[in-house]
Amino acid sequence: MRFPLRMAWRETRGAWRHVVVAFGCIAVGVAALVGVASFAASLDRTLGREAKALLGGDLELRSARPLDARARAALARLAGTGATVTEVRELVGMARVPERGGTLLVELKAVEAGYPLYGRLDTEPPGPLGELLGEDGALVQEALLTRLGLAVGDPVWIGAGRFRIAGVIRKEPDRSAGLFTLGPRVLIGAGALDRTALVQFGSRVRHRALVRLPEALDARATRATLLRELPDPGLRISAFDDAEPGLRRFFAQLTTYLGLVGLVSLLVGGIGVAASARTFVERKRFTIALLKCLGADSRQLWTTYVTQAVCLGLAGSVAGAALGLAVQALLVPLVGGFVPFAIEARLEPAAIARGLAMGLLTTLLCVLWPLRRLRAVSPALILREPVEPTPAPGPRPWRTALMVGLGLAALAVWQAGSPKVGAIFVGAAVAALGLLAGTARGLTRLARRLPRLPWLAWRHGLASLYRPGGQTTGIVVALGVGVMLVVTVALLERSLSAYLDLERRRETPSFFFVDIQPDQTEAFVRTVSGVGGDSHPVLTPVVRARLAAINGQPVGRERTEGREDAWRFTREYVLTVAAAPPAATVLTRGRWWTAAETTARPRISVEEEAARSFGVDVGGSLTFDVQGVPVEAEVMSLRRVDWHALTANFFVIFSPGALEGAPSTYLATARVPRQAEAALQDAVVAAFPNVTAVPVRDVLERVGAVMDQIGAAVRLIAAFVIGAGVVVMAGALVASRYQRLYESALLRTLGASRTGVARAFAVEYACLGAAAGLTGSPLAALLGWIVLRFVLEVPWTFEPALLLLGVVLPTMLALAVGFGATFRLLGQRPLPLLRRE
Amino acid sequence: MIEVRDLVMRLRGGGGPVTILDGLSLQVPARQFLAVTGPSGSGKSTLLGLIAGLDRPTAGSIRVDGRDLGQLDEDALARLRRDTIGYVFQSFHLIPTLTALENVVVPLELAGAADPLARATALLGEVGLAGRVHHYPAQLSGGEQQRVALARAFANGPRLLLADEPTGNLDSTTGAGIIDLLVGWHRERGSTLVLVTHDPALARHADRTVELRDGRIVADRLNGHGRP
Repeated sequence: MRFPLRMAWRETRGAWRHVVVAFGCIAVGVAALVGVASFAASLDRTLGREAKALLGGDLELRSARPLDARARAALARLAGTGATVTEVRELVGMARVPERGGTLLVELKAVEAGYPLYGRLDTEPPGPLGELLGEDGALVQEALLTRLGLAVGDPVWIGAGRFRIAGVIRKEPDRSAGLFTLGPRVLIGAGALDRTALVQFGSRVRHRALVRLPEALDARATRATLLRELPDPGLRISAFDDAEPGLRRFFAQLTTYLGLVGLVSLLVGGIGVAASARTFVERKRFTIALLKCLGADSRQLWTTYVTQAVCLGLAGSVAGAALGLAVQALLVPLVGGFVPFAIEARLEPAAIARGLAMGLLTTLLCVLWPLRRLRAVSPALILREPVEPTPAPGPRPWRTALMVGLGLAALAVWQAGSPKVGAIFVGAAVAALGLLAGTARGLTRLARRLPRLPWLAWRHGLASLYRPGGQTTGIVVALGVGVMLVVTVALLERSLSAYLDLERRRETPSFFFVDIQPDQTEAFVRTVSGVGGDSHPVLTPVVRARLAAINGQPVGRERTEGREDAWRFTREYVLTVAAAPPAATVLTRGRWWTAAETTARPRISVEEEAARSFGVDVGGSLTFDVQGVPVEAEVMSLRRVDWHALTANFFVIFSPGALEGAPSTYLATARVPRQAEAALQDAVVAAFPNVTAVPVRDVLERVGAVMDQIGAAVRLIAAFVIGAGVVVMAGALVASRYQRLYESALLRTLGASRTGVARAFAVEYACLGAAAGLTGSPLAALLGWIVLRFVLEVPWTFEPALLLLGVVLPTMLALAVGFGATFRLLGQRPLPLLRRE
Repeated sequence: MIEVRDLVMRLRGGGGPVTILDGLSLQVPARQFLAVTGPSGSGKSTLLGLIAGLDRPTAGSIRVDGRDLGQLDEDALARLRRDTIGYVFQSFHLIPTLTALENVVVPLELAGAADPLARATALLGEVGLAGRVHHYPAQLSGGEQQRVALARAFANGPRLLLADEPTGNLDSTTGAGIIDLLVGWHRERGSTLVLVTHDPALARHADRTVELRDGRIVADRLNGHGRP
């Protein structure tokens, strides 16, 4: 082992340019991976540490209805064992300032004295919650003050109640983060909620009972007991270690995809490592022949160069890991805003170890193929120079190819965390690399076939694209992958922002009005028509109900526990009735009811995804619990609903008459000109304080803001792919340095000016960059289309300017990198160079 | 020590196959100092390379130290060279990125020798380069480079020394020094020495001279002082 180790060091010492390239290739990719993985780990740890604060207690009981007697009894029993219980009610409502005429949708939270059980509510001014709230105090988020032009101490109306702004909420431990909030938080005392008159029949209130258990009681065990005691599936019981599964899932997915983008940068780096190893072996073949001559067998040589690669890979990975910590620090502010507490970015040993392993394994796999050539170098090379370069070694190349391919695929699956996502990634990567490599090959072939150009610089620059031992394919692929990703992200952002632009969505209402009481409808329509010009609101009667049985089988906990789609079984459904199918309805199974059929028995049309969850089909039945009355209805049709349309849509539509007598409220939508929006909202809220106005423009803007943040995070990591491409290109130019030096000296000896040589170089570099852009951008358009069409289900917008930019920028980048790597060559005097050759 | 039988070597050339060695047979007993002479292109260097197992002949067989080279794979040939053969080239062939000392250390390390650095330093002392051990080939004169190459060839105490025009790139004084070192080593250690040269004066130092022309032996004579 002594020889390989020492020889590896000596060879490394003697080839520092090659070393720097391989080092850089790996470092960039590992930085991205470690950055993402460390961020994910920090986030996970923070979520774990803050789990009790995030949930609000050791246990949480949550329901869309007030807790029933059994639940209360169970809570009382817990309190008897030393547990502390505090109740919280959450709902959306309208804040308004009648004196000044502003209204705003807010997320209202009414808390009891014990709140919060865990974590701390930070307010400005600070103080005990009871004192701050008093009888009529409200704590609000800064955004409310800004939007309504208020200050602490000012009065504000919430629903029908007048409150005094007692302070600003800086940090709320259990703000069930969700990514999207409807409006700023307003916190009031539990006793004051009635004054708002927002809790009326049919209003949507989330009732939460938070429990702090005594030391002796285990949260999981207590949860299990409660689950048995309280069979109502509509009552969600969570232990702290299961807090916010949706948030966790979101972050898991986000970090998975960021990690895969990071893996792309590592793989691009791998292309550079492979190319670098190839030129290294090619340049070192004389030394290799000599070593064989001195008695080195192929195992010793292989071990030597693999050792060298491993050391380089490790060094690059370590540097990358260090850089990754900086990436982590950048990701925290970009994505961390989604959680209600500070994410502590720190060294994550597991993430670093994984990054090092990734870097090392990628290096190893990427050098295996070029190092096969070691065996083929004949010691007879010492005796005479062969005309051709080292032939590729004959025996069983497919074994190495298979090993490298499987190894890289395994890395992808490891990074993806699931075989399915890994397989999709591998498939997409193979397709993209194949297309990029094919284009690069085509380009070199085209350059070779071009008629002889009259300009020396062009002739020479184009000829460089197909020079023997050139790395055109590698460079175009490496840069092209980066172009593809960055342009894709930009295209997605453009399409999404176009999609989220209310002005372009003619069919989307500007407002949803919720909780209109039956006796308010006429006045409501008058108000809207009066303020909104000639716009007429569309009112739909709705009945809130809970799913009670499927095909006659009661929906109990055993049906919902542990299911990702449990929410479909336990949520409060908003039911409506319709005689004819609503506009744009697409029936996928069955048919709509006839007038005659509606009189026979209740019938329903169910959204197809929900039906799939329930396991019902046409002919089956669903039973809803409507305020305690079970209503069984036969499924007559399944519908596909375009939720993206943001119009009033329903999971379940009843046949007319089926819900007669059930207590209903009304949901209204209205589209008004932009300039009338604020006035309409103010007028409706002033006239009907219990009605909640959801401004769609605000919601879309919030979604857009979240998308921007996610986009920024993806762009940050995608930049590493470009970075890796740049290193690969610089590496390829460094590898052909001597050839270039010699050529430039020769050209200048033959009378070319330095500018002339520079121009020839420029043509070559520009062609490389343009090829990467010309391949990467169309691929980006394709990838963007696939993601929009099949993943986001958002229409694709054609962005010619962006695609053009996707060609121009890489061309300029390639020029910059090219000259950065070679400008010193131009300054060298020809004679010493030629003599050295 | 060396048994060459009906050796044929043809290479592909621009105008069809070129015959370099044409049915050559030769026996070299242990401890003999054999000079191989002949005009350039007569196949001297190729013969030497084939004896070292650096290439495979088109036909014929070679036995070195009792082992049939045709039966050995590339790695076994490498080990044979490592343990049995020292090779000296006309153009030195030092590894440019290694110091003199490191160039000599390589074969010792390949053989897994104990304390390779000390032994390499001693060897460089023996060839008169004690003060130049940390110099790179580019910093050494031609004569010095060839001395390093000699030390490298001597490193594992080879029983067979193959020298391919070792003075061809050197002036006569420097060349004489190199030959003295080579022959001195051969005499002291009793190793077999095959020296390719086109210098008749140099060939006269040998026990026996074989002259090649067009890939065949045209003369094979014992010199007066030589052993058979």
